Amino acid sequence: MSLFKVFSKGLYDQNPVFKQALGLCPTLAVTGSIENGLGMGIASTFVLLCSNLLVSLVRKGVPNKIRIPIYIVVIASFVTIVDLAMAGFVPDLHKSLGIFVPLIVVNCMILGRAESFAGKNNVGLSLLDGLGMGVGFTLALVVIGAIREFLGNGSLLGIPVIGAGYEPVLIMILPPGAFLTIGFVLGFFNWLENKRNA
Amino acid sequence: MKDILRLGSILMLTTAVAAVGLAAVYSVTKPRIEEQKRLAIENALTLALPMVEKDAIVPAGDQSDIQYYKAYESAEKDTLVGYAYITRGAGYSSTIETMVGVDSSGKIVGLKVLDQKETPGLGTKIEEVKYGESDPWFTRQFINKPAAKVQLEKDGGSIDSITGATISSRAMTNSIAEGYHELQEAVKNQQN
Amino acid sequence: MDFQTLMIIAVGAIFINNFVFARFLGICPYIGVSKQLDSAVGMGAAVIFVMTLASTVTWLIYHYLLAPLPSNIFVKMLSLSSPPDLTFLKTIAFILVIASLVQFVEMVIQKTSPALYKSLGIYLPLITTNCAILGAALLNIDENFMFIESIVHGFAAGAGFTLALVLMAGIREKLDLADIPPSLRGIPIAFIMAGLMAIAFLGFSGLKLG
Repeated sequence: MSLFKVFSKGLYDQNPVFKQALGLCPTLAVTGSIENGLGMGIASTFVLLCSNLLVSLVRKGVPNKIRIPIYIVVIASFVTIVDLAMAGFVPDLHKSLGIFVPLIVVNCMILGRAESFAGKNNVGLSLLDGLGMGVGFTLALVVIGAIREFLGNGSLLGIPVIGAGYEPVLIMILPPGAFLTIGFVLGFFNWLENKRNA
Repeated sequence: MKDILRLGSILMLTTAVAAVGLAAVYSVTKPRIEEQKRLAIENALTLALPMVEKDAIVPAGDQSDIQYYKAYESAEKDTLVGYAYITRGAGYSSTIETMVGVDSSGKIVGLKVLDQKETPGLGTKIEEVKYGESDPWFTRQFINKPAAKVQLEKDGGSIDSITGATISSRAMTNSIAEGYHELQEAVKNQQN
Repeated sequence: MDFQTLMIIAVGAIFINNFVFARFLGICPYIGVSKQLDSAVGMGAAVIFVMTLASTVTWLIYHYLLAPLPSNIFVKMLSLSSPPDLTFLKTIAFILVIASLVQFVEMVIQKTSPALYKSLGIYLPLITTNCAILGAALLNIDENFMFIESIVHGFAAGAGFTLALVLMAGIREKLDLADIPPSLRGIPIAFIMAGLMAIAFLGFSGLKLG
């Protein structure tokens, strides 16, 4: 696999949200606006990069039987660091993401990458893989956040883009809108896939 | 058995290293997090009492039910010019917490919503700032009105409620009036 | 803390703040294990059980080991003057406790009741990475619940999850027979159904209790 492919597969072919349906809880929960989606995406990417780095560094020293608990400890530590740093530097974002910051720890995307990639590859490749997957995840959150914010609030990144006469489709920024959006977005990607294969 | 001991100790060691590392990070970020909390209150106080310098605001620090601050004319703390108090009301899906500033005649001079988790797009409009404006349009209505008597227009007062979010609007409005009565009570008790 | 408070917490966790429809917790198993009614019931039972247990254990750990409260056992053990603040270990401690708890429960059930193990066993390993369990534990702390309240909240949240899961499984079994556009088959239609059900559950929010 070429170096570029290691990075780029996370963006589309193996996009964690659109193609693998991983990390769905935060994808649904924090995408009421682009800003929250972006914040969540960056925080998760940071954790993923750090955990991929450390896991690939220590992979030879970790006994096979207890690798999963050790990965969990590694991930939980980085999540705590992100949690504390966000509380200290971006308190408003930290408050609006709420318990989904500590819950990055159970985002199956991160443990999944540690287990299926970083535990088997060297540091450089693992970082590249983590970056690609992280960016892919962030992209997915931003896309869904953008759809929901645009329809549900008539704005993008807080800036109104539709005229004042627009009556927002409120349901889109409420919980049901999250489910509907992701359902149709996943359907859209299936449709693309089917068309490509046909 | 030996294997279990070996694996157990490796796991133990990993966790211990993680704990020590996190303790280090925590000791760095803790003052910062507390500073942020203090800044949030300070920021709310300057919005609630725009006419006073921040050195002239002091926490009342008595044992009353309501948390409030005293505002003086200057940092010398000679003439009392008003109060700020934190009040809570049960909204639609959360507790709405507001910092309210009043002058000595009981007129609202400023306010800031501290905490709420109301329905996005409806109840959250109590702190919505319209694009290009600097303060939330809903809370602006309260300025210069007597805190003891604020009421929604629907209830016979003069505050326009938010379309589709009457419960949130009413909860906040009524909590401001109720909070003011508690404040008066607390101030009276302290003077005795 | 009386019976009424507990009822409010329970009804709130099942209907108003349903873990799936309002809090978005446990979505992966919700979509993954809702294809058949049997497995949905099994998964639901496993979640209720582990969530109640996890709420109990994590509450005790937080209040007696981590939080800077006078109840912290390190105060007596090491005769400290002020309780230590170990709250930064919350995430790591909770996830490890939940992981070991799931392992332990799996072992106990396997030894004591092979029949139960056969029906619940395969769902237990999936539960460790179910964010609903950790979510419930964290919410108990965030909401400042007392001990009994936490247990009730854990149980009710599990029950709410099970309700959502079983309802969904019932619908999906019927959906198999429906004529759905090929692109939407499988996960996408499940999400759209979940969206419609979430609209129904939205009706519960704002319910005034007590």
